[in-house]
Amino acid sequence: MSQLLQQLVLGLLLGGVYVSVALGFSLVWGILNIVNLAHGAFVIIGAYITWVLFSRLGVDPFLSLPVDALVLFALGYGLQRGLINRVIRAPLLFTFLLTFGINLVIVSLLLLIFSPDFRSVTPRYSGSGLSLGSVTIPYIGLARLGIAMLLALVLWFVLNRTRIGAGIQAVGADRDAAQLVGIDLRHVYALTFAIGAAFAGVAGGLIGLQQSITPTAGDPFTLQSFAVVILGGLGRVSATIAGGLLFGLIQVLGLNAPGLGAGYSNAIAFAVLVVVLAFRPQGLLGRLA
Amino acid sequence: MTQRFRPPATALRRLFVGGAAIALVYVVLAPLSSTDAGQQLGLPFLTDRLWFRVATTVAMFVVLASAWNIIGGLTGYASFGNVAFFGLGAYTTGVLVSLRQWPFGLALLLAPVVPALFALVIGIPLLRLHGHYFAVASLGVGVAVGEVVNNLQPLGASTGLFLPIVRSNLLFFYLMLAAAALAVLVTWVILHTRFGYGLLAIRENEEAAAVIGVNTTFYKVAALMIAAALTGLAGGIFAQWNTFINQENVFPIEYNVEMILMAVLGGAGTLLGPVAGAVTLELVILRLAGGGAAAAYSQIGLGVLLAVTVIFLPRGVIDFFGGQSRLSLWALRRSLRETSV
Repeated sequence: MSQLLQQLVLGLLLGGVYVSVALGFSLVWGILNIVNLAHGAFVIIGAYITWVLFSRLGVDPFLSLPVDALVLFALGYGLQRGLINRVIRAPLLFTFLLTFGINLVIVSLLLLIFSPDFRSVTPRYSGSGLSLGSVTIPYIGLARLGIAMLLALVLWFVLNRTRIGAGIQAVGADRDAAQLVGIDLRHVYALTFAIGAAFAGVAGGLIGLQQSITPTAGDPFTLQSFAVVILGGLGRVSATIAGGLLFGLIQVLGLNAPGLGAGYSNAIAFAVLVVVLAFRPQGLLGRLA
Repeated sequence: MTQRFRPPATALRRLFVGGAAIALVYVVLAPLSSTDAGQQLGLPFLTDRLWFRVATTVAMFVVLASAWNIIGGLTGYASFGNVAFFGLGAYTTGVLVSLRQWPFGLALLLAPVVPALFALVIGIPLLRLHGHYFAVASLGVGVAVGEVVNNLQPLGASTGLFLPIVRSNLLFFYLMLAAAALAVLVTWVILHTRFGYGLLAIRENEEAAAVIGVNTTFYKVAALMIAAALTGLAGGIFAQWNTFINQENVFPIEYNVEMILMAVLGGAGTLLGPVAGAVTLELVILRLAGGGAAAAYSQIGLGVLLAVTVIFLPRGVIDFFGGQSRLSLWALRRSLRETSV
C-alpha cells in the first residue's frame, strides 16, 4: 500500500517534468500547426546550458533557468523567422522534415561540442527529501513540479491577459483574418515559436537534475510531449497539465508493473497514444478542432 | 490554383532518360566483371568488390523510398513508421534462419508477409488519423516496435541475431536489384489501375473520394500493406546479407527519414522520383559517411540538405525534367512565395 502511494507521488512529480516539457510543444502545435521534432533538442540545449553554468561557474541549477529561457528564446525566434516561416504554408510533411533536419543539426553540433559523454548536474541538496511516514518526497522533484505549475500559470497569463497573447491566439484561430486586422504574422509566428523554445529550455534545465545529459537524450521527449498533448488535448494550458500529470503516473506505474521495465518507456508512451487516439481523439480536456 | 501551361522541357527529359538507361545497363552488368570468370575474361566494366556494398545499399533504398512513396506519396499519408516493416522483415528472416534453421530462400518468402499482416493490424486504427496525428502515431510505431524487439529474450534482445554467413555478394546485389525492380513495377501497376486512381483521389480529397465510392479504409490499408510487404522484403534480404541484425541496424528511425527525404527530393507521388532521389541521396550519404566527428558532420550535412530541399524544392527534382517547373531562379522563388508567410 505504502509502495503504491510512493509510486503515485513519484508519478505526479515525474508528471511535473512532462508538463514543463510539453507546454511549449503544445503551444507551437496549437498555434502554428507545427509538430516540432526539434523540441527534444531544445530541451537538451537547456540542460547543457545549466550544466555548463553549474560545472564551470558553480551557478545553482535553479538560478540558471532564466538563462536557459533567454538563450532558447533567441534561438527559437531566429529559427522560425529565418527558416520555418518559409514553409509554413506548405503541406505538413515539409515542416515535419524541416524540424527533423534542425534536430539533426543541433544534436550533431552538441555531439561535436560536448562529446557523447554522460553529464550530470548534482547540487548538494540532490537526493534529500521530505519524509512523510513511509513516503518520501524528493525536494528536487517537488521544486520541479512547482516550477512546472508556475510555467503553466505564466503561459496562461501571457495567452489570456496580454496583448501579445491576444495576437497569438488570433493567429492560431484564423491566420488570414489576423493579418487583415494588422497583425504582423512573421513576428507573431516567430514569437510563438520562441516562447515554445524558451519553455523547452527551462524544462531542460530541470531535466538535468533528474537524469544524465547526452546529446541524444532529448529525442524521447519529443515523442513523450506528443503523447502528453494527445492525452490532455490540444489548445488549452489546463489540458497540458492534466495530460502531463496523468502521463507521469502511467509511466511510473507502467515501468513498475510486472513484466515491464525501463526498456519499455517509449512503447508505453506509444500504447497510451494509440488507445487515446482510437477512443477519444480530442484528448481528455481538448476542444475538437 | 491556376497553372499556366508550359511545354515540357523535352530536350532535358530525353537527356535524363537516356542517361538513366545507360546507368541502369551499367549497374546491371558491371557486377559480372567481378566474378572469377569475368576477371579471367577481363570484362571491361568494373572490378571493385567494395562497389557491391554501395550498389546493394543504393538498391535497398530504392525499394524503401518507392515503398514509402506508395503510402506517403500516392495516398498522402506521411508514414514515419515504415522502418518498423523493414525491421520486422529482417527479424522474420533472421529468426527463421538462425533459430529455426530454415533455408534462406524459404525464410525470405515470409519476410514480406509478416510486415504486411502487421500493417493490416496497425493500419486499421492508425489510418483513421490524419496529418500530424498519423505522422507521429506512425513514428511511435517505428520506435516502439524496435524497443519491444530489443527487450524480447527469444529474439536475442539487445545482443541481436547472427545468421550463418553466405558469401555471395553477387546474389545479394541481384536480389536487392530485383526487389527494387519489383517496387518500381508495383508502383507502375498501381499508377495505371483503378486502385491507383483511388489512392490519388484519397490524397487529393478523402471525403470527396469516399463520396464517389472509393472504399477509403480498404484502399488506405491495402496501400500500407503493399508498402509494408516491399519494405519487409528489403529487410529480409538485408538480414541475410548483413548476417547480423539488432535494434540499431534494422530499426533506425534515420532510415525512415531518409526514405521520405529521397521520395520528396526526387518527387513524391511520381514513378521514378523516389528512384532518382534514392540513388542520388544514398550516394551522397555514403560518400559523407564515416565514424567519429565525420559522422557528426555527415548528420549536419543531411540536416542542411533536408532544410534546403524542403524550402527550395518542395516538388522534388524530377519535377524539373518534364514536369511543370524548370530549374531556374524564377521557379525557386515562386515555390518560396507559395509556402512562406
